[in-house]
Amino acid sequence: MLTLRGVSKRFGSRTVLRGVDMSLNAGTLALLVGPNGAGKSTLLRIMAGLIPPDAGTVERGCSDTELAYLGHDTFLYGGLTALENLAFWERLHGGSASEAALMAVLKRVGLERFADARAGVFSRGMAQRLNLARVLLRAPRLLLLDEPGTGLDARSLATLRNEVTALRARGAAIVWISHDLAGDLPMADHVLELANRTLAYAGPAGSWPGRDALSAAAPAGGASC
Amino acid sequence: MLKAAWLIARKDLCLVMVRGGAWVQSLLLGLLLVFVFSLALPPGAQATAQTAATLFWLASAFCQVLAFNMLYALEDPTRARSGLRLAPVPVQAVWLGKTICGLILLVAAQAVFFPALMIFLAQPLGPGWPSFLALLALTDLGLAGLGSLLGALAPGQAARESLLSVIIFPVLVPLLLAGIRGGEAAFAPAIPDGLTRWIGLAAAYDAVFLGAALLLFPFVFGDDR
Repeated sequence: MLTLRGVSKRFGSRTVLRGVDMSLNAGTLALLVGPNGAGKSTLLRIMAGLIPPDAGTVERGCSDTELAYLGHDTFLYGGLTALENLAFWERLHGGSASEAALMAVLKRVGLERFADARAGVFSRGMAQRLNLARVLLRAPRLLLLDEPGTGLDARSLATLRNEVTALRARGAAIVWISHDLAGDLPMADHVLELANRTLAYAGPAGSWPGRDALSAAAPAGGASC
Repeated sequence: MLKAAWLIARKDLCLVMVRGGAWVQSLLLGLLLVFVFSLALPPGAQATAQTAATLFWLASAFCQVLAFNMLYALEDPTRARSGLRLAPVPVQAVWLGKTICGLILLVAAQAVFFPALMIFLAQPLGPGWPSFLALLALTDLGLAGLGSLLGALAPGQAARESLLSVIIFPVLVPLLLAGIRGGEAAFAPAIPDGLTRWIGLAAAYDAVFLGAALLLFPFVFGDDR
């Protein structure tokens, strides 16, 4: 579904990524981990096609309509209602979902009561839930998530994890940048660990060396990367 | 592409209606220009048709710069520019959508400036108004198309404001001259000579710059980070 070969990226004189190779099959969820500034978001934006790599290739096994990106930035317009925001992005992606279908998605993320409220008054968590609704409406085959849990309360985070797991079960390939490894690792099939500007580990989540450190840190309240 | 462009234009219009402060500001700026100039005239003196036409296009040009600053700023708060770039439609649909919306806002402002000029500067409607309408259409199209291209140059309000103002006015000079000739035709008691040449110039300018905008926009509407 997604293959990267020799992907490198520089910003000015600073090398952010060097020779990244990886592939991801359909129906797989990969956690992308690494310290702050490791280039996780840059790599995800390259995967999405938002920025071009300086070297290497990115091959996506799906069309542009089947790709979804969910990050810190919600892409929502504060002056439009939740329903209008959903309708706009849905139509722009060539969809023609009825109002009932839009309402059904809002219900899935617990925002049905706020369908006619302007997104500008939403809290960070509500905006992120609406952002999730925007993605769910399209049932993507490749889903790229950049710390999607930021600002979500425990219940919303559980909804997010359930919905993402359901998308994986329907065959979607998912890359998830996580800062909540203790919570997100159990549902991951693979781990992609960025260190020293390249992929230090790309393999099954069960064999990831960092898992041991995480287990050791778990009693102290979890770990973050 | 047309459907996506209309979606974007409709969304922008809706947002401007909800938070139309910046557009009202540009309208007031244009009206202030006309009003202050009318006060500067000696009692009993009448401004020439050329002066009135120049004021009309100055007000229109200021309005255009502010309008396109505002239209591209709509994407800034949640970095929706990335969302638009990920949409499976030609990126030129964004340019066309902003052009359509900017054109509607410009014409609406001009519908206020024109009668204001007739009232404050005591300008009668001359026999050349059909030629004025032709030049108005061509000049407005050029203003909107170019404003939409250059407005996308710099993500971020501050950078856009300075860049747009610095770059756009020199490029607009030939088009504004044609517009002023057309405005002169609207207010002068006789139809000025050489209007056809100016209509030809405006049409050629539009063909070149709108074509260039279509080609250049994908390079201009880049990453918002």
